[in-house]
Amino acid sequence: MREKKTPAEDNSPERREFLSSVAMVGGLAAGYGTLAVMAGRYLYLYPAGAQDEAWQFVTELKGVRVGEALDYVAPTGVRIVVARRADDGTAADFVALSGVCPHLGCQVHWQPHKNRFFCPCHNGVFDPQGKAIEGPPAAAGQSLAAYPLKVEAGLLFIEVPVVGLGSPEEV
Amino acid sequence: MMEAIRQWWRARVPLSGEQLRTLTNEPVPYHLKRWWFCLGGTPAYLFVIQVVTGIMLAFYYQPTAASAYESVGYITNEVTFGWYFRSLHKWAATLMIASVVLHQMRVFFTGSYRAPRELNWVVGMGLLLCTLGLGFTGYSLVFEQLSYWGATVGANICRTVPQVGDTMARLMLGGDAYSSRTLPRLYVLHAAVLPASLLGLLALHIMLIRLIGITELRFEDEPEGAPEHFDFFPDHLYTELIIGLTLMVVLSALATILPAGMGPPADPLNTPNVIKPEWFFFATFRWLKLFSITFAVLSTGLVVCVMVLWPWIDAVIRRVTRWKDASVWIGAAVVLTIVALTIWEAVVTH
Repeated sequence: MREKKTPAEDNSPERREFLSSVAMVGGLAAGYGTLAVMAGRYLYLYPAGAQDEAWQFVTELKGVRVGEALDYVAPTGVRIVVARRADDGTAADFVALSGVCPHLGCQVHWQPHKNRFFCPCHNGVFDPQGKAIEGPPAAAGQSLAAYPLKVEAGLLFIEVPVVGLGSPEEV
Repeated sequence: MMEAIRQWWRARVPLSGEQLRTLTNEPVPYHLKRWWFCLGGTPAYLFVIQVVTGIMLAFYYQPTAASAYESVGYITNEVTFGWYFRSLHKWAATLMIASVVLHQMRVFFTGSYRAPRELNWVVGMGLLLCTLGLGFTGYSLVFEQLSYWGATVGANICRTVPQVGDTMARLMLGGDAYSSRTLPRLYVLHAAVLPASLLGLLALHIMLIRLIGITELRFEDEPEGAPEHFDFFPDHLYTELIIGLTLMVVLSALATILPAGMGPPADPLNTPNVIKPEWFFFATFRWLKLFSITFAVLSTGLVVCVMVLWPWIDAVIRRVTRWKDASVWIGAAVVLTIVALTIWEAVVTH
């Protein structure tokens, strides 16, 4: 005859203790898990960085002669060097290079006597077209970022990041 | 009356004088009569000075991009003894980092991290990283050129870490780039998160020292029949008090002779032509100039990982090579490399 468990055995103290610890651990895990998911979903410390790009006016075409350059500061504070290389009256005449070193974000300096951009932070060197030729950026094949340009009605425009709604003012 | 007060107190704080004595009176090994074995207490003492002077500075400091530099200037030039507290804070930070490094070297070269003290070495590494983090966030708060560009470079270094880097950088800056949200974050890290973490780790560090005991070393020149231990109270406390007073005199002299100055204010549009971090990051800075960013960051991360796991790596090396002094030679090579990189960075402009 098969042994049959009595209801009393089923409700043995060990079994009840085990079930209650399972319920307790499960409940705690579910509770803290929900908390973790919520924390991850709505990261308080992780601001919504709504950043848009927009076409901004730079200068009149006739304002820059071939061989000249001007400093343009984007609304986000990025400094951009806009240089004119030809006289065809199109956007291809110009090059707009970011002044931000692609290595670790310092501002590069134009050194006219050496015909190069130099980053004082970690000795990155770029040629006039923004290509890295020495230092850590060259080792990593990084160049100065170029921004899109367009010409409309004799005016030069540049497409740059602008401060989106909800973004704090840049320093 | 006195007896009634005593009984009232005893009922609420049930701790007898005898128990208190056993709790505090750890027998201290005799070799701690030598001063370089007290280097561990030095950063702890300096940390207290940092908390006190830091609270003083926090009364006037304003963590916003618009007013941080002016408020530091106000502390330095206007507040009574403001320059003194700021200079003490700066010099105590310098000495704290130096003494943490020296303490770690002492522990390393005497092999005191070995079993059963591996975990306390790991806690010590946590303390080192907290201290360096405090140094970094500390000079970011002045909002001079170095502060701004240091934080920018620091965030971009974070960004190159695989997988989590971008999130880390965004959390640190409060956005994609340095903005008005950044300085309050660095301030919260510097004045709350890091000191609280450091305090927790410090408690753990001291607790583990008390539970396991200090490594006992014997020196040949010790007098015959010298006792193996002496009492923490009052013998060792005297030593610590003497060190404390000496430190106070040294700090005060440094603060007076070489007070903390202020560089040019932060200018997000112009990186200064010559820029260097504080001396304790010189080696890393030079390393970043020598190699591509990926290699520099990953190798630095690897060095930190090896340092954290050193007690176990060392055990394997000793078992496999049976060379007892391997760790001494490896340690000496690493220390000399770091010193060489630091000096190199210190003597050249770029």
